[in-house]
Amino acid sequence: MQKKFILLQGRGNLCVGIIALLLLVATSSFAQNAIKGKVSAKDGESLVGVNVAIKGTTRGTNSDADGNYKLDVNSGATLVFSYIGYLTKEVVVGSQSTINVVLDVNDKTLNEIVVVGYGSQTKKEVTGAVQTITAKEIKDIPVSQITQKLQGQVAGVQINQTTGKPGQGMSVRIRGQLSVSAGSEPLYVVDGFPITGSIGAINPDEIEDISILKDASSTSLYGSRAANGVVLITTKRGKSGQTNVSFTSFVGIQKVPERGRIKMLNAEEFAQFKKEYYEDAGQAVPVEFQNPSQYRDKNNDWYGALLRTAPIQSYNLSLTSNKERVNTAVVAGYFQQDGVVLNNTYKRYSVRLNTDYSISDKVKIGFNLAPQYVFDNTPRTDGDRGTGILFNALHTWPIMPIYDANGDLTKFNQLPGSTGNIFAYPNWVRAANELVNETRNINVLTNAYLQYEPIKGLVLKSTFNAELLNSKFFFFNPSTATSAINVPIPTTAVSIRQSTDNLTWLNENLITYTKSVKDHNFEILGGFTNQRFRQESTRVQADTYADDRLPTIQGALNVNRGGTTNGVNEWALSSFLSRLTYNYKGKYLFTAAIRSDGSSRFGANNRWGTFPSASLGWLVSDEEFMKNFSKISFAKVRASYGVIGNNNIGNYTSYALVNNTVNGVFGNTVATGAVVTSLANPNLGWETTKQIDLGLDLGLINDRIQFVYDFYTKRTTNLLYSVQIAQEAGFTNFNDNIGEIKFWGHEFALTTRNTTGRLKWTTNANISFNRNKVVALADGIDRVYGTFHITQVGQPFGQFYGMQKIGLYKNAEDVKNSPIIPGRSAPGTIKFADLNGDGVITNGGDKDDRTIIGNPFPKFTYGITNNLQYGDWDFSIVGSGSQGNQLLVRHLYSTANLDGVFNLVEGVKYRWRSEANPGKGVFGTTVGGGNYTGIERDWMSSHFIQDASFFTIKNITLGYNINRPNKFFRSARVYASAQQVYVFTKYTGGPNPETSAQGDGNGDGGNLSQGIDLSNYPVPRTFTLGVNLNF
Amino acid sequence: MKKIIISAFLLSFGLASCKESFLTVVPETALSSATFFSKEADFVQAVNAAYVPLRAIYNDRHWILAEMHSDNTYYARNILFGAVDGTENVADFAIPTASGVTANDNVLQHYRLDYQIIARTNQVLALIDKVDFNADSKNNLKGQALYLRAFAYFQLVQLFGKVPMHLTPVATREEAASPLATTEQLYAQIEKDALEASKLLFNKSKQEAGRVTSGTAKTLLANLYLIQKKWSNAEAVAKDVVTNDGYKLMPDYNDAFTTTTGNKNNAESVFEVQYMEGSAGYNGNFIYRIVPTPITAAELQPITGTSNPQSLSGENNNIPTPDVIAAYEAGDKRKDISIGYVTLSQSLRDNKVYPYIKKFARAHSLHNNTGQNIPVYRYSEVLLFLAEALNEQGKTAEAAPYLNQVRTRAGLAATTATSQADMREAIFKERRVELAFENKRWFDLVRTGRAKAVITAYGAKVKANPQDYYFPKGAVPPPNAFTVLDDYYGLPAVESALTPHF
Repeated sequence: MQKKFILLQGRGNLCVGIIALLLLVATSSFAQNAIKGKVSAKDGESLVGVNVAIKGTTRGTNSDADGNYKLDVNSGATLVFSYIGYLTKEVVVGSQSTINVVLDVNDKTLNEIVVVGYGSQTKKEVTGAVQTITAKEIKDIPVSQITQKLQGQVAGVQINQTTGKPGQGMSVRIRGQLSVSAGSEPLYVVDGFPITGSIGAINPDEIEDISILKDASSTSLYGSRAANGVVLITTKRGKSGQTNVSFTSFVGIQKVPERGRIKMLNAEEFAQFKKEYYEDAGQAVPVEFQNPSQYRDKNNDWYGALLRTAPIQSYNLSLTSNKERVNTAVVAGYFQQDGVVLNNTYKRYSVRLNTDYSISDKVKIGFNLAPQYVFDNTPRTDGDRGTGILFNALHTWPIMPIYDANGDLTKFNQLPGSTGNIFAYPNWVRAANELVNETRNINVLTNAYLQYEPIKGLVLKSTFNAELLNSKFFFFNPSTATSAINVPIPTTAVSIRQSTDNLTWLNENLITYTKSVKDHNFEILGGFTNQRFRQESTRVQADTYADDRLPTIQGALNVNRGGTTNGVNEWALSSFLSRLTYNYKGKYLFTAAIRSDGSSRFGANNRWGTFPSASLGWLVSDEEFMKNFSKISFAKVRASYGVIGNNNIGNYTSYALVNNTVNGVFGNTVATGAVVTSLANPNLGWETTKQIDLGLDLGLINDRIQFVYDFYTKRTTNLLYSVQIAQEAGFTNFNDNIGEIKFWGHEFALTTRNTTGRLKWTTNANISFNRNKVVALADGIDRVYGTFHITQVGQPFGQFYGMQKIGLYKNAEDVKNSPIIPGRSAPGTIKFADLNGDGVITNGGDKDDRTIIGNPFPKFTYGITNNLQYGDWDFSIVGSGSQGNQLLVRHLYSTANLDGVFNLVEGVKYRWRSEANPGKGVFGTTVGGGNYTGIERDWMSSHFIQDASFFTIKNITLGYNINRPNKFFRSARVYASAQQVYVFTKYTGGPNPETSAQGDGNGDGGNLSQGIDLSNYPVPRTFTLGVNLNF
Repeated sequence: MKKIIISAFLLSFGLASCKESFLTVVPETALSSATFFSKEADFVQAVNAAYVPLRAIYNDRHWILAEMHSDNTYYARNILFGAVDGTENVADFAIPTASGVTANDNVLQHYRLDYQIIARTNQVLALIDKVDFNADSKNNLKGQALYLRAFAYFQLVQLFGKVPMHLTPVATREEAASPLATTEQLYAQIEKDALEASKLLFNKSKQEAGRVTSGTAKTLLANLYLIQKKWSNAEAVAKDVVTNDGYKLMPDYNDAFTTTTGNKNNAESVFEVQYMEGSAGYNGNFIYRIVPTPITAAELQPITGTSNPQSLSGENNNIPTPDVIAAYEAGDKRKDISIGYVTLSQSLRDNKVYPYIKKFARAHSLHNNTGQNIPVYRYSEVLLFLAEALNEQGKTAEAAPYLNQVRTRAGLAATTATSQADMREAIFKERRVELAFENKRWFDLVRTGRAKAVITAYGAKVKANPQDYYFPKGAVPPPNAFTVLDDYYGLPAVESALTPHF
């Protein structure tokens, strides 16, 4: 030993350290006993992966596939056995070397803590409609956003991925809530702080659990922001007595499946179409189309050219520790998702540090700090013909070459006007590759609190929260590319820089007092809060660059005056809140809550709104008479009523504003001009929703079957609406609170533990039926038309509206004997139903034949998750679906334009060409020009509407768990996961039936016009391999 | 004690900021109307903005409803391009109209733009007397507002006959829709406003170039009186302009029209809508809306003179008809100034030569961005107003010199008309060519009661020889062409849905 030591001494301090460590290990091992044992359930079944920890240390292990564990323990130490679904058990180590443990099933998962607004309750006590999802349940889903992970998991919540853009495009609707023009997204509250930024940017690995508050009694403490529902997010904290270090990672590839892509004509088919077009019209065929077969091997799939197979990766390192007086959690993450569209990258670097410290038994302080940096470069993929390159690529003639003879990307393509080519197309691949459209966000969420408990049960708590966002947007369109049609190359290079700073702060001061007197249990909450948001932005637009390599502002020859602006947006909110929770013997439950909100957004005559709620619960299963029903292990009935609001009405909507940039010109001189642009409304207020919820929670056969049912009905009144007024007034709209919408629905959620032996199989299923009906609009207005929609009293919101297509005119006889559009109907043109029976088909006006032709809202949505565990293996499959909703296939306006101005969908091959060759009856004749084809193309009709019901296998994961600790880790898990595995749908309008753009992209926006498929960024299928290591 | 200190500390945080001023957050990046109209400069700006809708009216809409809806210009089919029904219907006299209402978008947009002028001027007129500032300046501002309001109603009454009338700003939702005023009520209000404006406004010599003047107001009055057949009133105001306001004809007809930067508000100009070339958004692009297509960049360049011509394909609006071309007498210098020809290699017609309106095609620098002004009233029209007013009162000989001033400049001999009837025809015909493509023709047909007869005859010619009217071989006008020959357009359907009054 002495000799060895000398030998090693020369190697320096590092070796000394190692030896010291070895000695330490050796020393400590002498004093320990090797304990082994088996962990099993009451029925003798061995439990796999049970966490066995030595209390007060970082050391521990997990039980193996046979339930056995082995650990070196000092005598007198305490072993803690914990396992999901079972009650945690502690055993003090004596002199024994074998400790077998039997864990009791925690069949009353009802003692789980549920985070609710401004506090927490046990699941048993909850009287509102609240659903909680823990991070564990959704940990393997390889996506960037927490809302993506929730798809299909929550009853009553429709979560759609409307675009495949990394980090974007999730639409979350709780209980079908809608507003005409105020937002419909729920309020997101992170560790008690209602955030103003995007929930999509938060690293899902930081999240411990999520509570979704659905009814008015659970949300009313959020008052004027609660009407769309509230999502409470709780981030990670250390678990009692444990220290955990873990590393999680997944890597994978993403690809847009061929199936589901829109089937377009290829180059040869397109040329053939054009050839037939001229032949059928009796015109000379332009030389370009005389020989379609020349394009046989020269197809240009412009849409496909924009797509690629792209990698995705995620790494997270976390430490949680809860010892003595300090509870700390740190999560550091890196996520990168390259988009499946060229030149699209999303990266997120994030850190979260949560610390709580108990200064004494009475005083506690805490800090959360979560900075993150997000980089995102996304080509302008989404949008219609004006803006979106994907939409444009679909349209581009496939005979136009992507590459020139030298193999270089073409600049732009235009054929002679004689071919009917009226749009010069840029090369979309260049547009994707060369345009810069990047955002860099630095976002910091931070909280600090001081909590004081002067006497037992009375807690005073002050919190300070701040959210900072610095967002830098940079757009550069070099002279060599463009994403607009009819712009020759070289074009004028343009840069846009926008810098936005947001600061939100919130101070909350709360008092809670908890007291039990005999069987009466009370909790009283009171508080007041102030929140303020301010956003400042600066935008600079410059153009005409001497050199594309230097897109600085000073490098531009021109700073665009109109595009150079700054903005300020601000709001303030003061609130008082109070809640009383009471129960008798834990089985008769009552909660009443109230919040009063004063908001700067409301008109001067209407500053404060009050939002009360009350709820009742009865634990029927705790009653004596229920003892006879042994199969019923748990039963609770719930009822609640409350009033909540939506204050997303814009910050300055109640003011009349003057725009002083409506300038006149006199001679060659510009003279400043000013215009009053809006009408003031000092009475403007929030939207009010009154909601009733009735619920039933049931547990059968020792809670192996758990069932939750809710019925809700709610009425939203005072909807913010920019009421169109006669423009003879000189204004287009008046911002007012009008109308009433009724919503109602049923939600069913079922959890079953199908098998509990060596093979454990659980199923979670949910289904939701949401309905709405417009009860009233403004006085004297019973309908509001959009470009494609109608919102009408007595009908559901925002229905598709237009002509009812019944086929094509078969021949001259048919035209003669049928109702027609005078001067425009001909053999082979589209035939609509003459609904008013006047013999003339009319679009609009007094003799309108339009009707409701579709509904963008589903009849029901559903989700089903199956988890299987067998030994060290586990398997899960998550599905999510929607039934009965329709989409407007917007691209058909161009891709079924029979004038052949754009490339066409494949179905046009089977159009009507003559009485003898009538095709499949879907697409009409090309003959006669716009007077005839324009009807099919331009008149909104059922021609464009498709059923978009779908069932998507969102995720399949196969995992293998190693629960035997070794020198590298304590436990490990490896898994393979596939995301967006398969979409079952009959929808052919595009690859993503979940999409629902609002508006036609031409200013007809908002919730009144949902369900439009603008051929957005497709959602890729992703295959990943992941590993989770615990140290 | 410690308990109390900590508790008080916690409580004090929130209460400190809990007051009403915390909740008053006013917009920082826009002015509020509550405080805006407080000084002279505010009214100057408000008046300036009242001119702005005229740019869109004249560049985008007025010519569709007032010129292409006549026998002067037509809509040439480009079957390579899908139809734009609304515009096509106007040229075809086939606007679907039911119960006095039409869904035609040109009608709607023109209507709305005129009411923007009216709302902006009402705002000025309601508030200007509540603020004290220099009387001359105030009068001149009031005069401009009154003129612009009168002119907007004048356009509306000519297009629609009856429209709602607003003379004060709308402040609430309930005030938005007004009952229809009769043609007579509208005429009376226009007369009142224009008369007052003519007294308040500066004369052209004193007025900033490009703004309306007392002469502009009097010309509007003359125009109104002619429509009302108040011949002596018309004579008086027109003569007032001729005698007192210092206008004169430009020696060359070509110079009566501005270039993209020059010749603006010249001696002949009574009022013209002002544009400015450049990227700031004050430009027009009229010629790009009316040049025949499909046209290649090379074919377009001689017409526009730009450095970056681009090919165009679209509808072919406002193409001079064979009828208007034939209306020019031999030797009329105005013919070649007003109308040019271009050969479109990509046209599907056998005859690939198309006429276009040359007097509004002036060289400019960049594609689709022109600065030339569009005339509203020129002095030559004042002369023709005067001649017409005189002749209608039987003062035919007195009328002739005014007509001849216009003819002489055009390189034509004096009129041979001596009878009242001949003189009436001579003036009518002179107006057609002198003011060709200046959006006068349809209103002339209506006010002289000739619309039905002239358009019926014109329609018959189009139907008989579609190819002369730019139809490709085999194509014909739609069956409902030349069936809607009413003097007035139907009111816009979209607005009809927003008012209980029509």
